[in-house]
Amino acid sequence: MFRRIVIAHDGSEGAAKALDAALELAQRHKATLQMISVEELPQIPTTIDEVVEEKAAANRHFDPLIARVQSRAKAARVRLEVHVVAGHAVPSIVEFVERQRADLLVVGFMGHSALYNRVIGSTTDRLVALAPCAVLVVK
Amino acid sequence: MENVWLTSALWLGLALLASIISIRLAVSVALIEIVVGAAAGNLVHLELTEWVNFLAGFGAIMITFLAGAEIDPRALRRQLAPSLGIGAVSFAAPYLGCVGFARFALAWDWPAAQIAGISLSTTSVAVVYAVMIETGFNRTEMGRIILAACFVTDLATVLALGIVFAHFDARLLVFGAATAAALAMLPRFAPWFFAKVGHRVSEPETKFIALILLGLGGLATIAGSEAVLPAYLVGMALAPAFIAEPELPHRMRIIAFTILTPFYFLKAGSLIDLDAVIASAGLITVFLAIKMATKFIGILPLTRAFAFDGREGMYTTLLMSTGLTFGTISALFGLTNRIIDQRQYAVLVSAVIASAVVPTLIAQRWFQPLPSGIEGASPGQPAPAEEH
Repeated sequence: MFRRIVIAHDGSEGAAKALDAALELAQRHKATLQMISVEELPQIPTTIDEVVEEKAAANRHFDPLIARVQSRAKAARVRLEVHVVAGHAVPSIVEFVERQRADLLVVGFMGHSALYNRVIGSTTDRLVALAPCAVLVVK
Repeated sequence: MENVWLTSALWLGLALLASIISIRLAVSVALIEIVVGAAAGNLVHLELTEWVNFLAGFGAIMITFLAGAEIDPRALRRQLAPSLGIGAVSFAAPYLGCVGFARFALAWDWPAAQIAGISLSTTSVAVVYAVMIETGFNRTEMGRIILAACFVTDLATVLALGIVFAHFDARLLVFGAATAAALAMLPRFAPWFFAKVGHRVSEPETKFIALILLGLGGLATIAGSEAVLPAYLVGMALAPAFIAEPELPHRMRIIAFTILTPFYFLKAGSLIDLDAVIASAGLITVFLAIKMATKFIGILPLTRAFAFDGREGMYTTLLMSTGLTFGTISALFGLTNRIIDQRQYAVLVSAVIASAVVPTLIAQRWFQPLPSGIEGASPGQPAPAEEH
């Protein structure tokens, strides 16, 4: 049923559970699996250095995560492609899913501040609303 | 009698609180410091001692210098005409709009109206830079033009602040001559000096730059100008040297953001009278609307001319309507020099804060362009993450 699966991973506990589900689904359906992680830049930065620093911190956060995820995929005998992009989570993930023509997006609860959720909206809610394919939310 | 340690503990405690909140919300620490300063200033007595004023003033000088040093001189030189054009329009349109409104609709006197125009004419280069990274525009010539234009806007703001209120006499000539001499010598002398003294824990490079900034700042003050003017110009002059040695500005930023700029932003916030903000909410909204509308009139047609699509053009224009640091510096200059009163200050700083938040939220909520997935770094900045 699912040929192309995308997992959105932000390094959170929820996303780790979503990865488990995505690996199992990819195995069962012999689907390709792509992972996208989004480096979110600071809101209303004061200096360019603040932006650069945040990106460097994101790199430090994602590099070990990618190594762990690759090793889990290898153990599960699933071929996994990893993509890290800068931007805001929702449009970046939706655009990626469209570009990959994925038929399933797997997400966990994605970490955001309460204020951001209130003002901009919950990331998961917006992904469910905007993704052009089926979405599996793993708790 | 003032207990200097308890007073400084209170200020640094507020700075620490602001840092923690900014990390939690992923929002700029400067904005949170202003808000925390406003809350503290209205709830508890936040004493503005001589040394607080010194640290705050030095913080404003340092952050302005560092902003000037972030300029990419190659991009500016390569696309001088469009950068100057867009940057000048981005400054002049809101400046004229806000000066006109303050003078003719509100009957503020001319100097106060000028402060209103200067405070609300700024563009936040860092916000626009973040957008460029997200959209991949930073790798295009167009993106570089827009970023250079933002620097031109800020330069125009700083020039206006430094020149409009200066005494046009011999003191200004002395200040101008000293600044011109420093700007002519620094691009060659500074790299030689930095190589000579090397990287030491005692930071001779930072002390040298601070000496220049404080010396020129002193002359600027005597001339009735503003110390941030030479700071921005010296930053621009040293930008090529900083590209060759990116660790130095990074170390200076750490010093500034740890011990200097928190005092500046907390002080700027503490002087906001919340009763005046509430009483003038409508006026604040009108100033914000004028800033955004005039930025739109000036910039949106240019994005069309440069072949941005509709969504990208709106997004870029909204982000070029943001401003914070130079807006608060200009308003605080006005208050400190009694050009504007406490109520006018509260109105202008609130409008400046709103201009940092509102256009960003509108842009992200309704006009965010789909990312290209292209990433890159601005010249002179460390390379960002590769797509794995």
